[in-house]
Amino acid sequence: MIRLALMLSAATAPAAAQTFAPQQAGLDDGTYAGGWQFMVGGGAAAFDCSGDGFPDLYIAGGAEPARMYVNESPSGGPLAFRRLPDAATDLNDVTGAYPLDVDGDGITDLAVLRVGENVLLRGLGDCRFERANEVWGFTGGDGWTTAFAAIWEAGQDWPTLATGDYVDRREEAFPWGSCTPNHLFRADGRGFAPPLDLLPSHCPLSIMFTDWNRDGTADLRMSNDREYYKGGQEQMWAIPPGQPPRLYTQEDGWRYLRLWGMGIASRDTTGDGLPEYFLTSMADNKFQTLADPAAGRPDFADIAFRSGVTAHRPHAGDEFRPSTAWHAQFEDVDNDGHADLWVAKGNVAQMPDFAILDPNNLLMQQADGTFAEASVAAGVASMRTARGGVLADFDLDGRVDILAVNRWEAPEIWHNTTEGAGNWVQFRPELPGANRDAIGAWIEVRTEAGVQPREVFVGAGHVSGHLGWWHFGLGPAERAEVRVIWPHGQAGDWQEVTAGKFYVLRPGAAPVGWTAPR
Amino acid sequence: MGPLVRKLTLRAAAVFLLALPAQAAVPPDQAIRDWYRLVIELVRHTPTYSPPVASRAFAYVGVTAQEALATDPEGPLLSLAGQANGLGPGPARDPGAHDAGAVVNAALAVTVRAMFANTGPTGQRALDAMERRLTEAAEAALPPDVAARSAAHGRAVAAHVLAWAEGDGGAVVDNLGFPEAWRAPVEPSQWVPTSAIPLQQAPLLPEWGRNRPFAKPGSDCPLPPHPPYSEDPGSAFWAEAAEVHAVWRTLTPEQGAIAQFWADDAMLSPTPPGHWVSIALQILARDGADGARHAEVLALLGMAVADAFIACWDEKYDHDLLRPVTYIRRHIDPKFQSVLITPPFPEYPSGHSVQSGAAEAVLAHLFGDPFAFEDDTHADDGLPARTFASFREAAEEAGISRLYGGIHYRAAIENGLEQGRCIGGRFTQIRTRR
Repeated sequence: MIRLALMLSAATAPAAAQTFAPQQAGLDDGTYAGGWQFMVGGGAAAFDCSGDGFPDLYIAGGAEPARMYVNESPSGGPLAFRRLPDAATDLNDVTGAYPLDVDGDGITDLAVLRVGENVLLRGLGDCRFERANEVWGFTGGDGWTTAFAAIWEAGQDWPTLATGDYVDRREEAFPWGSCTPNHLFRADGRGFAPPLDLLPSHCPLSIMFTDWNRDGTADLRMSNDREYYKGGQEQMWAIPPGQPPRLYTQEDGWRYLRLWGMGIASRDTTGDGLPEYFLTSMADNKFQTLADPAAGRPDFADIAFRSGVTAHRPHAGDEFRPSTAWHAQFEDVDNDGHADLWVAKGNVAQMPDFAILDPNNLLMQQADGTFAEASVAAGVASMRTARGGVLADFDLDGRVDILAVNRWEAPEIWHNTTEGAGNWVQFRPELPGANRDAIGAWIEVRTEAGVQPREVFVGAGHVSGHLGWWHFGLGPAERAEVRVIWPHGQAGDWQEVTAGKFYVLRPGAAPVGWTAPR
Repeated sequence: MGPLVRKLTLRAAAVFLLALPAQAAVPPDQAIRDWYRLVIELVRHTPTYSPPVASRAFAYVGVTAQEALATDPEGPLLSLAGQANGLGPGPARDPGAHDAGAVVNAALAVTVRAMFANTGPTGQRALDAMERRLTEAAEAALPPDVAARSAAHGRAVAAHVLAWAEGDGGAVVDNLGFPEAWRAPVEPSQWVPTSAIPLQQAPLLPEWGRNRPFAKPGSDCPLPPHPPYSEDPGSAFWAEAAEVHAVWRTLTPEQGAIAQFWADDAMLSPTPPGHWVSIALQILARDGADGARHAEVLALLGMAVADAFIACWDEKYDHDLLRPVTYIRRHIDPKFQSVLITPPFPEYPSGHSVQSGAAEAVLAHLFGDPFAFEDDTHADDGLPARTFASFREAAEEAGISRLYGGIHYRAAIENGLEQGRCIGGRFTQIRTRR
């Protein structure tokens, strides 16, 4: 019956021209500042720390203090944030941050990455935090941390964290080849055991736990910056529960690939239920899909060229020099049921062979799976020097907005004002007790157009993460079905939901509607 | 000296200054070694530094060292002015004492900064650190007037060399060396792009062959033609492609190791010219060579290899031949996959081979033939050292590595080596000493 209803609700896709409006929104009181040690980084975390369901923001400042902003936007905009000064969060030397509920108390915590000691901040509510390194046994180290990911391994009620570290910043004349160890922090009761070194380490700028073959266990992908490693390559670690990590090798099918790895974005864009991975770099971004899904080997082929997502040089302006890409994220900004791709661009600095005026990309996925550049028409082709960012529905109007964190300039935020966008639905999966946000789950939404799977993860991007509502565009569909494959493989039932609504999803229960308080 | 000892010697070069006695000046060989270690890194980490561009930088840095030391009227070296193509007499030294290490350090600092002005923030930071450390060490050990006079003269020599370099045609590299557009092939024999990287849909540096060579005009170094293009299975051209395909299908671990050892991909290695410079530096360190020996070896090697690239690139765009991966997939085996990354430019002749032939000729001239050595250039990247009985053996292995890698036909290798030896021979006629 549901299938029939879905078929009846299908019609031709709306022809929406996506538009965005730049807004000050109260975020222009700081920059991502600093010199050489902050040439990478510049991330942001979007998550609800105030308890009203709206995504609040924590933005890295580099040599300036990081900044916490409470989201005061009304539903439908305009976007508005209020700075919330607090010694606990106004940390210096922050490169980026990721939200996650470490202790499962229902209040989101924050992993703050720094040049120096990393800090875990325990959420207290009302966007207040306290340092928790000591109470959770977390060793913050003294590295230059540029990547983070988290997962709840099978049988664990405490997360496993991974950090990616960059070069030895004290090496002046010969920093090349000085990549410092990445770390894996596993649970020890309600805290963390001493970290394991993930060696060899090759200067990652983005990492993520991802269940690339949908076998119920996430592995750890690392996109590494070839500028600094020697003998390195892209990496993926198998993280078997209770066992030591194991690096995938060419014998396993892992291809030898070296790039200036800066960011990872992941989404199934081919419709086979398996995630594709967009890897940002300089002049040559990659878009990977499993070469032979039936083989079950981690052998990824590059489909960037044929998909139209090479994004290798500025698409606007007068520059011909190649681009430098950082944060990337898939979101369906026009709600047509096809995830689009946003890429933050910006010169490293002092790199005259690469574009200085390097506009960000908004690559709209077409029905055939290819992508078309649309950022100029959409009004988001900023020429500022971007690094990190977040795409999230900041005003909970069903349309995904865009935040860019810029080096030496204020962040930019664009309110999605697309008229005639497709329908949408948003979900927040919730587990009782540990792993409240169901990290490692897959949310699948089914309409007549097919199934859209989304992996629920903490990590990826360029030192930027989001947690909260997971957005799906539905095109013309007014209803859809949803199910969750909960962490480690237990699939829930397909259940009907209505377009234009927010739902909380819990195991064994019907979706519970949620309404924004303002 | 074993490879580990030699490796440690090289590694120790850049930290030499940390252990420098308070009153010791920086010897010129040490200044040259320190700067070259940095140059090798900058070649790897500066995006415009494809092999031809790298060869140019190595040449001018080497000539700078030679000229900086050759202005010492009591030193052993002779200026290259009047011998290298277009290089006129440089500045003379002012009256008063000079320190050879301080002169060559100041000269190399200027030339290296100019050559790598486009390197990124990490490279700039490294340049600052290197210059600061070497300059502070010199100033701490020398009377102020000697330090100042030496530095001023070094800078003047570098300015002279850079003025010469400016007009050679290779000073500006746009878009990482790739033109904005390229002609569509009209013949089946012509090169076509071999990668899905957008930038590489046009070939690298098609005008490089027009650059001014370092050797003065003289005898030609002709390149024999490759077998005529043919799609006939009985043709010599087919046979060459079939050989590449057969080697790929039966590749031994040793052949694979050779292919990887000499791969020297741009931005992932010191590049092929840097590989030969690395070999020379290892030998010079092993032998405890002085500054003058360093300078003459690096100047001649640098110029010979740079000319090899100019000549090779001229031929490549004259012949405009398609790569094995293109031909083999079209006519023999659509599943063929070259072991190495196929470089984004025409096939004939092999750049590795021409430049290795040139390096072989110069190094055999300077060090003797046969001359056994061990090469641990890629130790940092985890590749084991390889040993060679002679420079010829190394050059031939570098050449054949491209066939093992599936990116060149045999003719490009064998004819390229011969052309390179001829080009290198031009530089064995240059006098570097009084």
